[in-house]
Amino acid sequence: MIEVKHITKTYGKKQNTFIAINDVSFTIPNGKSVAILGKSGSGKSTLMHAMSGLDRPQQGQVVIDGRDILKLKSKDVDAFRAQKMSFIFQSFFVQANESCYDNVSLPLEIAKVPRSKRRQKVEAALSAVQLLDKKKSRARDLSGGQKQRLAIARAIVNEPDILFADEPTGNLDSTTGGVVEDFLFNYAKDRGATLIVVTHDEDLARKCDARINIKDGVIESTTGFAERPTKKKKVMG
Amino acid sequence: MKVADIIRRAGRSLRQAKTRTLLTSLAIGVGAFTITLSLAGGQGGRDYADAIVKSNTDVREVVVTKQTDETAVQEYDPDTAGLSLGAGTPGPAAASSGIEPITMTDIDQITEVEHVDSVTPNYSPQVNYITADGDNEFVVSSLSTFAPAVTLTYAAGGVDGELADDQIVLNEDYAEALGFASPEDAVDQTVTINATRQQTVFTGSPEAKDVDFTVVAVSSESGLAFRSQGSLLISTNAAKELYDYITEGTAAYNKFFIASVLVDDPENAGLVKTELENQGYSAQTAEDILGTINIFINVLLGILLGFGALAVLTSVFGIINTQYISVLERTQQIGLMKALGMSGGDVGKLFTFEAAWIGFLGGGIGAGLAVIAGTIANPYISDALGLGDIYLLIFEPLQVVGVVVILIIISILAGIFPALKASKLDPIEALRTE
Repeated sequence: MIEVKHITKTYGKKQNTFIAINDVSFTIPNGKSVAILGKSGSGKSTLMHAMSGLDRPQQGQVVIDGRDILKLKSKDVDAFRAQKMSFIFQSFFVQANESCYDNVSLPLEIAKVPRSKRRQKVEAALSAVQLLDKKKSRARDLSGGQKQRLAIARAIVNEPDILFADEPTGNLDSTTGGVVEDFLFNYAKDRGATLIVVTHDEDLARKCDARINIKDGVIESTTGFAERPTKKKKVMG
Repeated sequence: MKVADIIRRAGRSLRQAKTRTLLTSLAIGVGAFTITLSLAGGQGGRDYADAIVKSNTDVREVVVTKQTDETAVQEYDPDTAGLSLGAGTPGPAAASSGIEPITMTDIDQITEVEHVDSVTPNYSPQVNYITADGDNEFVVSSLSTFAPAVTLTYAAGGVDGELADDQIVLNEDYAEALGFASPEDAVDQTVTINATRQQTVFTGSPEAKDVDFTVVAVSSESGLAFRSQGSLLISTNAAKELYDYITEGTAAYNKFFIASVLVDDPENAGLVKTELENQGYSAQTAEDILGTINIFINVLLGILLGFGALAVLTSVFGIINTQYISVLERTQQIGLMKALGMSGGDVGKLFTFEAAWIGFLGGGIGAGLAVIAGTIANPYISDALGLGDIYLLIFEPLQVVGVVVILIIISILAGIFPALKASKLDPIEALRTE
């Protein structure tokens, strides 16, 4: 369960202060797929960064499985991310010069998985996205859709409980985008993992169990949640 | 992330930028090459000097002279006035050179010094000529005493232990001049040395005598010899007999410029030297001679190492530059790794190991090439300098490894600044870079 409590993140100082997210709270139960929907600049990416401990908001708590990750030391947050979380980005961020195998192996190395156990996991992840035959190919030789599938393999190889996808289909045409979406949702369903999709794509958001509409740093509306999240304040200034 | 995985990833990153890695490494390689060759030259030089001193002097030997202050005005002494280097020309040469002769009293005094085994004055009789057939007579430039501790190389024959009193060692030049077809032919032949007794009062017909010697060995030229070569060697007793014959009755009789002291143990050579100096003598041990030569070698070595260090310093900036650019280029990769939970420290380590790899590669290439080039060049250098079978470049495996290790450490230090930049990179900022 991810509990976001009164998160506020501002950029800049004094007169130039920009409030990216303002007192946002919600709770995501385990195993749910949630879309954070908003236009660019709405604060949805900042929210994802805060939830994953990549960014540190000035106020609020992010409690995951009973632990406030914002109170952890940066080293512990890193370890937490390595064990529990994964990311998929709009521009893939696969390492073009490295083989598909080495790309997928990276999270396992970071999570200190012994070398002997890596091979089986990497191959399983590559099979799951139907890229096993490309194991030794360099990532730069893949097509856009294949690159994103590779990114998915990298994201699921360590079997994370929480999967963040930041505009996962933003750079893909609708057919390949659809394939990528299927892989994502299938993994989340099979593993019972929580999937958080940050997007401005209504169609993609519709496929999720729940959605949070965010605008100008505050939650505008939510759907699909059993209980309504706490009432939000109006944006200041 | 495990260190082994970081090292492998670092190696892979470098392989992906082969040209850049190689060029940066080569800069360090130049330094490694220079330093390795310098060290090998220094080592070879020291070994060479050591070998020279060892084969020309006895480590138990302390050479003693009696030296007065050269610049001081001295009183005229009729005893000294008649003595000059050698026994021939009388004159004030000795006095003006500041050398006082060693007398029998001195020798008795030196013998009393603790740890001294024996004292032998340096007899170098000025004989007239040497001949093999009685017709062709040759000037003897230097006749000295045979010392078993001095290593000689022989073209023919050999000496087992001490030389007998009627035996002589010729060098190749004399063997040839005396009419022997080959060094082998000279062995066991008889040669005659003629000496003239010096006169204190001119009587007209100086007394002279012939002494016969059997050739036991012919010494050949050695890259190590600098003292005994060009000499005819006879036993101490034979030299003393000739010397006494030539100088008896003159002022030079029983007065010597140099005496050689044999110490009971090489360890005590220094002690004896100090004691002798306290008593007003001037003493030199084998180590002193070696020390003087080594100073020159070390100065040369220092200059060469300086050039090597300069090359390394230049390459340090190369590494900083390369690694810094690499961090900028790979901002996105760093961001991704941090997002996946890699700690800043591990990211820093990744870049540190890359720098270490560069140092290892450059050091290995440079030192390796130096060893190969040195090994190939050694025979030519020895040939050009006339060192015979002695090599001037000696590669100590430990030194070569040491050079590579030190260069790796220097590379790591050079990589600290870029590594720090990488470790402090904000992942969100990094992932925003397209």
